[in-house]
Amino acid sequence: TSTSTPSFDLRVYWAELITQIDAQLSKSTPIQYPESINESMRYSLLCPGAKRAPPVMCIATACDLLGATQEAAYPTACALEMVHAASLVHDDLPCMDAAPLRRGRPTNHSVFGTEIALLAGDALFPHAFRHIASKTPYDLVSEETILRVITEIARAVGSKGMATGQLLDLGHNTGVTDVMEVLERKFGEMAECSAVCGGLLGGAEGEVLECLRRYGRVVGVLYQVVDDILMEEGDNGEKMRSNASVVGAYGMERALEIMEELRVKAKTEINVLSHRFGAQRVLALDSFVDFAVGRDD
Amino acid sequence: PAASAQQPKTFDFKAYMAEKASAVNAALDAAVPMTYPEKLHEAMRYSLLAGGKRVRPMLCLAAASLVGCDDDEIPIASACATEMIHTMSLIHDDLPCMDDDDLRRGVPTNHRVYGEDVAILAGDALLALAFHHVADATPANRVPASRTLRAVVELSRCVGTEGLVAGQVVDLEMTGNEKVGIEKLEYIHLHKTAALLEAAVVMGAIVGGGTDAQVEKLRKYARCVGLLFQVVDDILDVTKSSEELGKTAGKDLATDKTTYPKLLGLDKSKEFAEELNADAKLQLADFDPDKAAPLIFLSNYIAYRQN
Repeated sequence: TSTSTPSFDLRVYWAELITQIDAQLSKSTPIQYPESINESMRYSLLCPGAKRAPPVMCIATACDLLGATQEAAYPTACALEMVHAASLVHDDLPCMDAAPLRRGRPTNHSVFGTEIALLAGDALFPHAFRHIASKTPYDLVSEETILRVITEIARAVGSKGMATGQLLDLGHNTGVTDVMEVLERKFGEMAECSAVCGGLLGGAEGEVLECLRRYGRVVGVLYQVVDDILMEEGDNGEKMRSNASVVGAYGMERALEIMEELRVKAKTEINVLSHRFGAQRVLALDSFVDFAVGRDD
Repeated sequence: PAASAQQPKTFDFKAYMAEKASAVNAALDAAVPMTYPEKLHEAMRYSLLAGGKRVRPMLCLAAASLVGCDDDEIPIASACATEMIHTMSLIHDDLPCMDDDDLRRGVPTNHRVYGEDVAILAGDALLALAFHHVADATPANRVPASRTLRAVVELSRCVGTEGLVAGQVVDLEMTGNEKVGIEKLEYIHLHKTAALLEAAVVMGAIVGGGTDAQVEKLRKYARCVGLLFQVVDDILDVTKSSEELGKTAGKDLATDKTTYPKLLGLDKSKEFAEELNADAKLQLADFDPDKAAPLIFLSNYIAYRQN
């Protein structure tokens, strides 16, 4: 399936960014005493084949949409991958999802043991905040903005965001839980936060920021819904990321409808941004949506 | 001698502790409201509001006031953040895959009540909330963003792989290892315990408006007090009962853990504690003794506490 527009190829764009993001991530976490914890953090942070969706969305928003420089956006982009990795390491633990594999290779705790995996997750969260606060150039991004970025990420990974997503996904629902809510909390939050952080770094305020918030959330859920559909169609055995499945809950027909609804919602936000910033500037964000629906991996 | 002469006689430390602890408890209570999903917030509140001594928040408030900040509203977010991180590290430390403890502060540990999965998430959520709280709840109209950001950096440094987590990792690696020397033991405690006390004191001094020189003096004070805290903890583990401690006593011996009494003997350990207490108070010599009273008393309190 073709996922590119004539003037924009997300695969090329994405591949170029991943190379740079991977290099920055490797530099951010050197192996130093005590080595075991740093090796464990690097193992999950530098996982080969990782899509780096949170950092790419942050950069696409900050730089492509809003014209910020890459130096301004990279520290936060990398930090988003750090908190993302932290959540995955904890989600995989034996007392959580008990996942033996992640992206085709043994999970962190299978390699380093549960204690180190738990601590690696605990360390990656503060590592992310420190990375933003100490690496973002203060002459490009104000200290007030950096504080807002940190606040946004802390909100997204905390009890109002991803921690709740995992709680609900584990079946600890105190009331009636809709599968869509699980997906919004577990996956929508990270994408929302990535777009919003990019927005903050690019100087967005008010309605633009809210538009990015809605866009990010919808796209995060959309990717997961497509994952559910693909998993049902093929048997992608190694992907065990969510116990909540849209296909499982509503059936394939409804899942495909939901996918289309989400696509339209995302496109609506793209149109708003396009009116404001011009069609050229939204190409990267727009291609995320087409790519989600068109991909077959 | 020089240090004990500093001790102001008129300061009512008990009243000070009670007043600050109640202010901190109220702020912590407000920081984690019982909202949806209740199970997660209940688990967070269970450990956060379990009635700890609030030593870290108190150090933070006292450091801010020592550098001239006369309103607790300014450092209270930082103070709460240190208690959130402390609580989070206790929840994760108590887990079956770590120390496997059933009892903490006299009540069942978090995972015994809510399950391991919820306990891990409650810890993660408290960790995130700590950073959220400093960045978002430090009054922006009264503290410049540059100072709040420095406080965030201190917190992140003190709890990550150069701080708290480093101490925990080396501690794990050393458990059951006969050859742990005094240097390694000191590394563990400087990171596992002192780092967060350091964050508390230094964050208070930074958001309170202290000069760099004041911040660094107080950093030294905190490191002495942090080590002191652990030496005394080790002493109490061999001299007190579980009932007196509110946690499992004699655990260090049972798990063959290296401690100060084991390495130095009980008497030398007590001497070392005295030295650290004196050293801590020496760092406060340049400050107004009346204003330094809370930190002087806090050091004594940590040195002479019974649980």
